[in-house]
Amino acid sequence: MKYTTFNQQATNPLLEPMFFGNPVNVARYDQQKHGIFEKLIEKQISFFWRPEEVDVSRDRVDFQKLSEQEKHIFISNLKYQTLLDSVQGRSPNIAFLPIVSLPELETWIETWSFFETIHSRSYTHILRNLFADPSAVFEDIVLNDEIKRRATDISRYYDDLIFATQLWQTQGEGTHVVDGISHKISMRELKKKLYLCMNSVNALEAIRFYVSFACTFAFAERELMEGNSKIIRLIARDENLHLTSTQHILNLWAKGKDDPEMQSIAEECKDEAIAIFMNAVEQEKQWASYLFQHGSMIGLNKDILCQYVEFIANHRMAAIGLDTPFEIKSNPLPWMNNYLNSDNVQVAPQESEISSYLVGQIDSEVSAGDFGDFDL
Amino acid sequence: MTIQVQDGPAVQGCTSKTLLESLEQQGVEVHYHCREGFCGACRTKLIEGQVEYATDPLAFIDDDEILPCCCKPLSNLLIRLA
Repeated sequence: MKYTTFNQQATNPLLEPMFFGNPVNVARYDQQKHGIFEKLIEKQISFFWRPEEVDVSRDRVDFQKLSEQEKHIFISNLKYQTLLDSVQGRSPNIAFLPIVSLPELETWIETWSFFETIHSRSYTHILRNLFADPSAVFEDIVLNDEIKRRATDISRYYDDLIFATQLWQTQGEGTHVVDGISHKISMRELKKKLYLCMNSVNALEAIRFYVSFACTFAFAERELMEGNSKIIRLIARDENLHLTSTQHILNLWAKGKDDPEMQSIAEECKDEAIAIFMNAVEQEKQWASYLFQHGSMIGLNKDILCQYVEFIANHRMAAIGLDTPFEIKSNPLPWMNNYLNSDNVQVAPQESEISSYLVGQIDSEVSAGDFGDFDL
Repeated sequence: MTIQVQDGPAVQGCTSKTLLESLEQQGVEVHYHCREGFCGACRTKLIEGQVEYATDPLAFIDDDEILPCCCKPLSNLLIRLA
């Protein structure tokens, strides 16, 4: 079915499925089939923030003091986060908007992806502060084999869905030969690709991101790189919301509360969904080996990070009705919860280092010596 | 009100604190992230009893699940932690 930016056929969005129904026409939010997406939009907008609000200038001093292995951990982690948000800043839009059928879900996808672009911009803000020229760091993201391996797996399910959707929207169902390769396009195949893609997105936002957050907050636990940690805390709060949205989509399908065909696909493809999560867990463990290849840091090493991956994977898989495959029962990084608590994110501007609030202030460091010529 | 954790301790619940706060104060460890009902990390099975929400939970919860971070007990509860 050809995509149209304004479907002139009168449709009832209360009767449409989330995806692969009629294209959305009127962007209306007075009525919703799945009211949760409207609530998520409101919540996400209430979280609005700008990276420039966070003063990261003291991180430069901290960074110089890090050991070489710690610098490797910090920068590699930041590269990985940059990769994840590069993908997330565009892919939900490109993959899901052409096939979405509910106005509230369409706008949720756009809002979600927009916030990922704020995250991407904040990595530039962080890196510009650390390096006079951050080009080498950015350029390595497409050269470094460890990162590339992750990029392949993260983008695969999106790319697969996007390509199949393009064939379907231009040529319809059937077998189409492109560059000598034959592609069978049917609605069931498209929906399967969508289902697997949604699982892969959930694994990305609910597991992969949390591994990277653990690395960031391990520095903050030692009172290092705290500007960076403040930014990542804001990102983590957004990601908390994003993973909720994909959990809702997967559960609406699995429980038969949306497209009935998606419910049967969820049952049929359950093993493949589990494999996506297990694969993500395995890759994150490999990533932990790479991060700590030159040695660990105080408070975090390869083994603890691997345990955290398993712990968080159990929780995320349970949330979408999959079995919990790992033995681990208690959180190996209990301090993570403090950084993920949204109460600790929103603080009064005067209590944090929001630069717009510090106009006229030259130095945020005050020592006893500053009171030397002070008489009462 | 008594909050019985399955295969765990029983704690006192009250209507002035969230269920999560009551559990924590009495030494029961519950996994959490946002504490505002939008992430779902504290998702818990409610086997018996009733709760009410101070804020509308945004996270996905199944019919037999509750979010201790934003609910308060209305009766004695029997819960199973994840």
